[in-house]
Amino acid sequence: MRGTDPPSVATWMLEHLVPGPRNDALAGDLLEEFRQGRVNGWYWRQVMAVIVIGFSRELRNHATVMLFAAAWSMLAPAWLLIISNFEMHFNLDERLARMDWPWPIVCDVGLLLAANVLFIWAGIVLYLIPRLHAEGILRFRLLAKGLLASLPVLLALWATLVVLPKIFLEQSIDRPAFIPATTGQFEHPSPNSSAQMKGLAVERHPATSLREHLIEHPPPSDAERIRQHEEWLAAQRATATDHGNSPRSAIIDPRTKAIVVSLPFFLTILCALWGAALRFDRRQTRLPA
Amino acid sequence: MRLASNFWLRTIYFFAIVELMTERSYLGEFELMILLAVIQLGEEAYGVPISRELEVHRGRDVSVGSVYAALERLESKGLVASSLGDPTPERGGKAKRYFRITKAGLRQVHETRRTLSKLWKKLPELKGERI
Repeated sequence: MRGTDPPSVATWMLEHLVPGPRNDALAGDLLEEFRQGRVNGWYWRQVMAVIVIGFSRELRNHATVMLFAAAWSMLAPAWLLIISNFEMHFNLDERLARMDWPWPIVCDVGLLLAANVLFIWAGIVLYLIPRLHAEGILRFRLLAKGLLASLPVLLALWATLVVLPKIFLEQSIDRPAFIPATTGQFEHPSPNSSAQMKGLAVERHPATSLREHLIEHPPPSDAERIRQHEEWLAAQRATATDHGNSPRSAIIDPRTKAIVVSLPFFLTILCALWGAALRFDRRQTRLPA
Repeated sequence: MRLASNFWLRTIYFFAIVELMTERSYLGEFELMILLAVIQLGEEAYGVPISRELEVHRGRDVSVGSVYAALERLESKGLVASSLGDPTPERGGKAKRYFRITKAGLRQVHETRRTLSKLWKKLPELKGERI
C-alpha cells in the first residue's frame, strides 16, 4: 500500500542532509518517479544514495584542504615552542607578573592570540595564494579584507579550540597566581588545592565566602609570589626542553601531547579553508561551459 | 638564492598542483553512457529519462543521485550544458533540469569511440587466450 506522497522523513533528509547547494531538479525527479509507481523502498534507497554521494563528493573535493590543514598543523608544536622560547628569552612571564590586574591576563592572552592567529593566517594565505594565482583572481587587497573579515569567526573558533582547552589544562597544573595581593584575588595555591590534585577528599563548606577564604588563606607576600612564580617558570622550562628545545624535534614528536596541540590548529585551518574551497566550487559552477 | 626561492615556490604551489592532478581528463564508463543517453534523448534529456535509459540498457537499478553527480562533473568539464524548464505540479512545483551535449562533448564522444573501436579491432589477435 502506498500513497501519492513519498515518505516525509526521507524527503526531509533529502532537503536538509545533502551537503552543498540544494538540488531541486533532483528532488523533483525523485518525486516524479515515485508518483509514476515506484515504492517507498525505492525512494528511501535513492535518498540514501544521494546523501552518501553528496558526502563522498565533499570529502573528495576537500581532500587537498584536509591534507594541507594536517601538514600545516603538524608545524604548530614547533611554532609554540618558538613562541615559548621567545617569551623566556625576553622574560615576558616575569614582566607580566609585575603588572597590575588585569594586565597580566590581558597581555598573556593577547600575546597567545596574536601568535596563534598569525600562524593560522600564514597557513590560510599560503594555501590560498597559489589557488587565487592559478584562477587569475589574486588581489592582495581582497585577500587582506577577507582575512580581516574572517577575524571574528577565527577568534571564536580559536577561543573554543585553543584557549578553553589551554585554560582547562592549566587548571590542572598547580600554577601560582601572577595577580598582586591588593586585588583581592585568591588564585594562589592553597594547602587544599594540592590535596584536591591528588584526588583526596577535602572537606570544604560550599558557602565559603570570599572573606572567609581570605582569612583562611591570606594572599602571599610579593616575595613569596615571585618565588612561587619562578618555581613554576622553571617547571615550564623543563617541559619546554622536553622536545630537546628544537622546533624540528617538536614537529616529529609522536606523543599524544603533540597531537593534542596540533588538533585545534588542524580544525581551525580546516574550517577556515573549507569555506574558501566552497566559494571556489560555486564560482566554478557559475562559469559558462 | 634563486634556487632557494624556486624551492619555496614549488613547496607553496604543491597543494595547488595536487588539486589539479586529481581532475580527470578522460571519460569514465558511466560518464560515456550518460553522454550517449543525452545525445539519444535530445530535447527530452533530464534526470528521469536519462536514468530510465541507463536502467534499460544496463539491466539494473540506477541511482538518480549518481546520474546527477556524473552530469555535474561533465558540466564542469564543459561536455554538457544545462537549463531549467518550467516548474510542474506533478513534480511538487520543482523545475526539470534539461541537459544537452556541447560541441566539446560531442568531440570527446567521437574520440572515445575511435579509441575503443581501435582497441576492439585488435581483440581477434587475442583469440584462444583467456581475457
